[in-house]
Amino acid sequence: MSVVVPVGVLLLLGYALLKRVRVFSAFTDGAAKAFPLLGRVIPCLAAMLAAITVLRDSGALDALIRLLSPVCGALGVDARLLPLILLRPLSGSAAIAVLSDLFTQYGPDSEIGLTASVLLGASETLLYTLALYFGAVGVRKTRFTVPLALLATLTSVVMGLLFSKLFFG
Amino acid sequence: MDIVFFGLLAVGIVTELVTKGGDAALASLIAGTQNAVQNGVTMAGGMLFWMGLMGVLEQTPLMARLSHSLQKPMRFLFPDAGGAAEAIALNLSCNMLGLGNAATPYGIEAMRIMEAENPEKGVATDSMCVLLALNASCLELFPATLVGLRQSFGSARPAAVVLPVLLSSACSTAVTVLLCRLCIRK
Repeated sequence: MSVVVPVGVLLLLGYALLKRVRVFSAFTDGAAKAFPLLGRVIPCLAAMLAAITVLRDSGALDALIRLLSPVCGALGVDARLLPLILLRPLSGSAAIAVLSDLFTQYGPDSEIGLTASVLLGASETLLYTLALYFGAVGVRKTRFTVPLALLATLTSVVMGLLFSKLFFG
Repeated sequence: MDIVFFGLLAVGIVTELVTKGGDAALASLIAGTQNAVQNGVTMAGGMLFWMGLMGVLEQTPLMARLSHSLQKPMRFLFPDAGGAAEAIALNLSCNMLGLGNAATPYGIEAMRIMEAENPEKGVATDSMCVLLALNASCLELFPATLVGLRQSFGSARPAAVVLPVLLSSACSTAVTVLLCRLCIRK
C-alpha cells in the first residue's frame, strides 16, 4: 500500500504531461484553492476548538464520555468518537476540527485516529449540502430526500466502524 | 449549528467555572483558538500538495471520461434527469475523486436545470432526491484532503484509510442506490 500512492502520483503527473496539460500551472492553480478552504476552516477550528478545549479542561467532556461509555460499549463504538460522528453531518469544517483535535491527542495512527479518519472520509456534510442545493433553487418540499440521506449517512457510519475494526482493530 | 456551538460552550464554561474558576475557563478558551491557528498551519502543508495534485487531475481528460462512463448507469437512477444529466455526472465524478469543492458548482447547476424543467415548482423531483441522497452516501475513490490531513499530522501510514473508506462508502452507496430505485415513481 505504501508504494501505491507515490507511484499513483507519478503516473497521474506523467499522464497529464502526455495529454499536454500545463502541469506546473495546473498544480499551482489547484494548490491556490487550499487558501479559501483554510480561510473557511480556521475560523471554524477556532470556534470548535475553543468549545472543545473548555469542555475537556473542565472535565465535562470526560464525564460525558464516561456516562455514555456503557451505551457505546454495548454498540461497539468508542465514546471518544461520538463528537465527530454527531458533528459530521452538520459541518465539514467542524468535523475536521474535531478530527485534528483527535490527531493531536492520540496520533493519526492510533486506532482511534484511524477510525476517526475513516468516519470522516466515508460520510458527507449532509445538512449543509441539503440546505445549499435545495436553497439555491427554492425547493421547499423535499419528499424522500431527508430520510434517505440520513439513512445513507447512518450506513456510512456503521460500515466505517465495522471496516475500521476489521482493518485496524 | 448555532445551538450546538452555544450548548458546547455553555456546558464547558459553566463546568469549568465550578471546577477550576474563571481564569482557567478563559485560559482554556484562548488555548483552543491558539490550537486552531497551530492546527490550521499544520494542515496547510498536506492540503496544498493534494489540492495541487487535484488541480492537475481536473485538467486531464480523466474527469470527462469518468463522467461520460457514468451517464449510462445513471439513467437507471435519474430517469427524468433531462438536460441536467451532464451536470449530475460531473457532480458525482468530482465527489468520487474527493473534490468536494469542485463538485458543489456542478451540483447547484444540476439542481437549477432540474428545477427549470420541473412541472411542479418547489416540489423536489425524483432526480433531485436521488442526487442529494447520492451526495450524502458519497462513494469515495480517493479521499485526497483526508490523506493530506493525516500526513500533516505526522502519520506513518497516511493512505492506510483509503481502502476502508472506499469499502464503507461503497456499501452505503449501494444501499442508497437500491432505496432510491424503490422510491422513484416511474
